[in-house]
Amino acid sequence: MDVFTILLWIIAGGALVISLTKNKRRTLNAMKIARGMMGNMIGEIAAILFLIGLILTFIPPETIKSVLGQSDQFISTIVSAVVGSITLIPAFVAFPLVGSFVDIGAGIVPAVAFLTTLTMVGVVTFPLEKQEFGLKFAVTRNTLSFLFAVMIALAMGVLI
Amino acid sequence: MNIVQFAKRNKLLAAVALTYAVLFITMPDKAVLSIKNSMYYVIEMLEIIPVIFLLTAIIEAWAPRELIINSFGEKSGWKGNVFSLILGSFSAGPIYAAFPVCKMLLRKGASMINIVIILSAWAVVKVPMLANEAKFLGVEFMGVRWILTVISIWMTAYIMSAIVKKENIPIYREVEIEKINAIDIKEQYCIGCGLCARFSPDHFEIMDKKAKVKKKKIEEEKVAGLRLTIEKCPAKAICFK
Repeated sequence: MDVFTILLWIIAGGALVISLTKNKRRTLNAMKIARGMMGNMIGEIAAILFLIGLILTFIPPETIKSVLGQSDQFISTIVSAVVGSITLIPAFVAFPLVGSFVDIGAGIVPAVAFLTTLTMVGVVTFPLEKQEFGLKFAVTRNTLSFLFAVMIALAMGVLI
Repeated sequence: MNIVQFAKRNKLLAAVALTYAVLFITMPDKAVLSIKNSMYYVIEMLEIIPVIFLLTAIIEAWAPRELIINSFGEKSGWKGNVFSLILGSFSAGPIYAAFPVCKMLLRKGASMINIVIILSAWAVVKVPMLANEAKFLGVEFMGVRWILTVISIWMTAYIMSAIVKKENIPIYREVEIEKINAIDIKEQYCIGCGLCARFSPDHFEIMDKKAKVKKKKIEEEKVAGLRLTIEKCPAKAICFK
């Protein structure tokens, strides 16, 4: 375990002890709710983690490097942003997936574009958003979020 | 739960498992290699999952929602923007889980800017997720992306408030007390926490991890108690009709 993870364990563990001593019932109830939220994701998490293994075995790193790495960054960024917009996997499982791509040479810019549109733009949840907030709201929010996601990605490329 | 049901509920997992099964028969060496490649990420994930779980639970228990919720009005200014960002960041669940919460806030008079900030922050900058991101992509990556994202959320919100007006948003009126005669659950938002069944066991039950209305008709004297239950629902998925 790296220092960062150990630090997080200490923070989370400390917070848990404080929370339990302050109000045991409230803490246990909240844990039940959190378990419900995360329980539904466990299957997806396992699937993605083992999918990473398959991808790394069958798609040679050079291919990923050339498609998502050096070649044409602008196009690969836009494509990543579009894929992120239409994919519906929780960000939770996206981080290891994107991390594995970056580990073997994918560019930072398309990776950020994918991660940001994945959570901020929702093509699949669009009908629901339209129903709740109206067409104008849903269209404007998703369009702006898409544009900003690409801008964030390009800025990240300059900064990191 | 039998295998068919399980596979239906976890389509992706079933597909991956099937691929591995075929692979073990046809190309066992590749299958072993794939498992080996995955193990690094499995171990990393196992190291971070308990932390994410604990952070989510503790935020759920202690985030002073009610206090924050009262600070989103039209005149709340930058303070309201900051509160919106905090509320969004300290929530759990996917973006659509924020829809009913934001609708409730709009009814209570929250401004357009703050609603967009909550919605976007809820989607992108959740605290337990930041821990996960830093784990797999590095602290610097997470930090820079966080700062850029917060700036864009704020700009999106201001542009949105200039383009979209509150009149463009369909808002259902609060049902008047004399007319309340039934309750309704928006199932797509229910997270199956079971709070409603615990507070009003006569009216709600949990079936297949979703809350169901047990008794549609409600008597007048039950309304006050049910209103409390409805407010307790963390996903704001229950309403009178």
